[in-house]
Amino acid sequence: MDNLIFDIQQFSVHDGPGIRTTVFFKGCNLRCAWCHNPESISPDPVLQLYPHKCIHCGKCIEVCPHNCNIIVDGELSYRRELCDGCGECARVCYAQSRQIAGRRWDADEIMKIVERDLHFYKSSGGGVTFSGGEPMLQHEFLLSLLEKCKEIGLHTAVDTAGNVLFERFEQVRPLVDLFLYDLKVMDDEVHKRFTGVSNRLIIENLKRLADGRSDIYIRIPVIPGVNDNMDNMRKSADLLSPLSGIKLVELLPFHFLGEAKYKSLGMEYPIREFGPLSKVKTAQFAVVFSEAGLKVKAH
Amino acid sequence: MVLLMNEYYSAKIEAIRNLKLKQTEEKIRRNGRTLNGDDKGLIPYEGTFTFKPEYNHPKGIMGPEACGRNYRRLLESHPVYIDPSNALPGGWMFSFSSYKGALWNDNYSYDKLAEEQKVYDIISGIGACHHFMADMKIGFQLGLGGILNKIHHYRDINDPARRPFYNALEDCVLGIQNIILRHADEAERLAENESDPDQKLFYSRMADSCRWIASNPPRSFYEAIMFTSWFILTLDMYNGAGAAVGEIDQFLYPYYEKDKSLGLITDDEVVYLAVCLFVKDNFYSQIGGCRIDGSDKTNELSFLILEATHQLKIPTSLCVRVHEQLNPELLYRAVKYMFEDKNGTPSFIGDKGLNEGFVRNGYPMELAVTRARAGCHWVNIPGREYTLNDCVKINFVKVFEVALHDMLENTNEPSADLLWDYFKRHLARAVDLTIEGIEFHLKYMEESFPELPMDLFCYGPIEKGYDATNGFKRAMEYYNMCIDGSGLAVVADSFAAIRQRVEEQGLISWQKLIEVLENDFEGSEDNRLMLRSNPRYGSGGSLADEYAVEIVRHFVFCCKKGPTPSGFVIIPGLFSWSNTIGMGKVCKATPDGRHTGAPISHGANPTPGFREAGALTALANAVASVQCGYGNTVPVQIEVDPKLGADEGGIEIFMEFIKTYFNTMKGTLMNLNIINKDTILAAHENPEDFPDLIVRVTGFSAYFAALSRDFRQLVVDRIIEGA
Repeated sequence: MDNLIFDIQQFSVHDGPGIRTTVFFKGCNLRCAWCHNPESISPDPVLQLYPHKCIHCGKCIEVCPHNCNIIVDGELSYRRELCDGCGECARVCYAQSRQIAGRRWDADEIMKIVERDLHFYKSSGGGVTFSGGEPMLQHEFLLSLLEKCKEIGLHTAVDTAGNVLFERFEQVRPLVDLFLYDLKVMDDEVHKRFTGVSNRLIIENLKRLADGRSDIYIRIPVIPGVNDNMDNMRKSADLLSPLSGIKLVELLPFHFLGEAKYKSLGMEYPIREFGPLSKVKTAQFAVVFSEAGLKVKAH
Repeated sequence: MVLLMNEYYSAKIEAIRNLKLKQTEEKIRRNGRTLNGDDKGLIPYEGTFTFKPEYNHPKGIMGPEACGRNYRRLLESHPVYIDPSNALPGGWMFSFSSYKGALWNDNYSYDKLAEEQKVYDIISGIGACHHFMADMKIGFQLGLGGILNKIHHYRDINDPARRPFYNALEDCVLGIQNIILRHADEAERLAENESDPDQKLFYSRMADSCRWIASNPPRSFYEAIMFTSWFILTLDMYNGAGAAVGEIDQFLYPYYEKDKSLGLITDDEVVYLAVCLFVKDNFYSQIGGCRIDGSDKTNELSFLILEATHQLKIPTSLCVRVHEQLNPELLYRAVKYMFEDKNGTPSFIGDKGLNEGFVRNGYPMELAVTRARAGCHWVNIPGREYTLNDCVKINFVKVFEVALHDMLENTNEPSADLLWDYFKRHLARAVDLTIEGIEFHLKYMEESFPELPMDLFCYGPIEKGYDATNGFKRAMEYYNMCIDGSGLAVVADSFAAIRQRVEEQGLISWQKLIEVLENDFEGSEDNRLMLRSNPRYGSGGSLADEYAVEIVRHFVFCCKKGPTPSGFVIIPGLFSWSNTIGMGKVCKATPDGRHTGAPISHGANPTPGFREAGALTALANAVASVQCGYGNTVPVQIEVDPKLGADEGGIEIFMEFIKTYFNTMKGTLMNLNIINKDTILAAHENPEDFPDLIVRVTGFSAYFAALSRDFRQLVVDRIIEGA
């Protein structure tokens, strides 16, 4: 399922240097328990439901080709199991009680939005970031966008979890000025438990990518009870320290956002089990990386 | 330059701030939460004050002679006010304008014009006061004694028929001198009774300087800033004109430089004295800006002035003038303080857009660079230009409503194209009626409410013997009359909704549209939301964005098609000030889904919620695209999450945002609030718990707790739904 984008964010200031536009690709092959963009996970469009906004106009019932919407005891009921994310109901739901996450775009359409902020990229040293989801899963679409960005001289960044074949990195890297590379947990078992996949390929790819030919910002989401321990941070620092091209290590604090999104998708909110994040700990972790000779930024 | 204030000044600054808060609470206690504009530093008087105006007309006090005489009488009886922490004496408590009776002299009636203007909800500006800027330097050079001599000189050599005007000006000077000297007496008395040697000296110095500047040009920084303070206060005591100050870091600089070089003043004393001034009135001033050769005007005093507003933390209206060579440290400091203080100060204006625009009127760039920030959304040439800035407005939404009804009365086949033709015609008519009103004002304002104390500090009125408002006598050098359009977003969105929802997508018929508008969407929320969800102005690349540009283009064309019939220049802008509520109340439901009576859109901003996820760049792009381009502003109002400033590198990113907006995109004015949603919601619910929360409402800033509910709601909507 290519060309599927679920959001385009202008004035993005946390995904690489300067003022940027971030294009969010839909579909991810990790299942991080702390994901705050759950609508990004599925590689297909998905319906998000916000019942409190419903004005009971009944249009969704009329247009749904799969009879997902029925009235039960006078209340509107939605049968997600029948829904294929066609978006017909969202199209007529002006109250925005129904919204569809993800739609197909062509590259020129995206570039039109990207080009709106050219002045701001230029002055601030910003550009475009492709994020997700996992943009590398739609690498051909990503390639075409990167090419278009380069045609107009834009700084490009790709935000990736790294869990794809390295060939894909080889394909895109000539067009990428900066990789934002997620490093979640060093312990493979813990990684599997909380992300659903092994970290072996991810770490292997990172080592190969960090050969000095690409600039890389490492992004570590600090998740209480998962990776917020010295052992994990030291191991991460040990991994990163000898690598070339690591320009920055960013420690990203876990935050309680996304609960409403999970609810809108009919998904369990898995994050409750994590405790609060300690700022002191994050500062201590920053020291670990700094002592390993790495530039670090704790958000 | 980081200043560590000595304890003496820090304590005084804190006392000044606390007194301001106390006075604000007292004003809320007396008047309730009713503030719909700037409070202008009004001091709540605790005693009983009576002033009996001497009317010369059945409706009140009219024309120069009576205005001058009564103003002098008011100044001679106005209470004396000295705050023991503030080195600048005087406080504005009573204003001549509130005793004047009718503002307009009905010997000069304009009933017919008023009726025609009402059709388009035009705010005519007829009878509107000040909103131009005097030049402090005239006072600095001549002193009040010198100004008095100048009046006598021209009274003697000019037409004897103008003697009443000169007598009025003389009354003004004598009144101003009187109130200054009475404060000198009071300061002297306080000094005599004071046991603390420091405070005794404080009062003695105050008394000496008051006595000197009552007749003579200021000699020191202290006297110059005291003169400025009296200028502000006594003009406020007339009609509120004291709020226009302009290039404060320039006209005070020679005094700073001289005192500094002689070792007579320290930087922390300068900051303290600036604090003393900023509490007198929420006046409009600027720091920075460029010279004709593009070089930067920033000096040491620019930093100290900025420091003063940072230390004071009350509503102030200081503005940084941005250009390509602006001292980066000044901009950095300004942005840093803006995020730290979260009180909407400073705001930012841009040399490039303003100056290049002004030149398009046929003026030289030398003149353009002298125009300085002096009001909510406007700039002005000190002492040379009469403008009625921010006083004249056309309600675009009403024009649209009239056009719609006119079209429906004349055709059975309505269309967006036809409506556009009607709109253009009615907007042209509205502009013509507005111009007629402006000319009427310029002809007769002198006989209603002349700008006497402003005349003292302008180039022309004394020399020519006519009031600054008297455009037909060309008392001032330039008459660049401002007309602002209001409600752009509502009209642009309405046109786009009709074109797309009705005509292209067929989601609602014309007939049904008219029906739901007539019924204010009663029982038709689905249709309202359908119209509302059409891509709006600000969303970027939408039809509404295109309409916004076309509306402005036509508005500018109407304003700039040539000089007015009597040869005045019109300069268009887009601004609604706080009229968004009032202008909304007179307008029926609109095809963008706006309800009957709901506020119109703010200034040139898109409507709140114009994008699902707000983006500062989207907002900036939108407002940059609708600049009128002749030297008056089209402000962008931006609400920013405080988190941005807290991030590492966040201040630098915001600096780049500002620089790009002004230096590349030729934006003209940016007003900002740094505030988070939770705080504003909590303060809206319980304003009394947030007595020191300050917001920039539009061009002016105010204590949130003092605002009326409608205004609090307006700010809340912008922050919750806005970018």
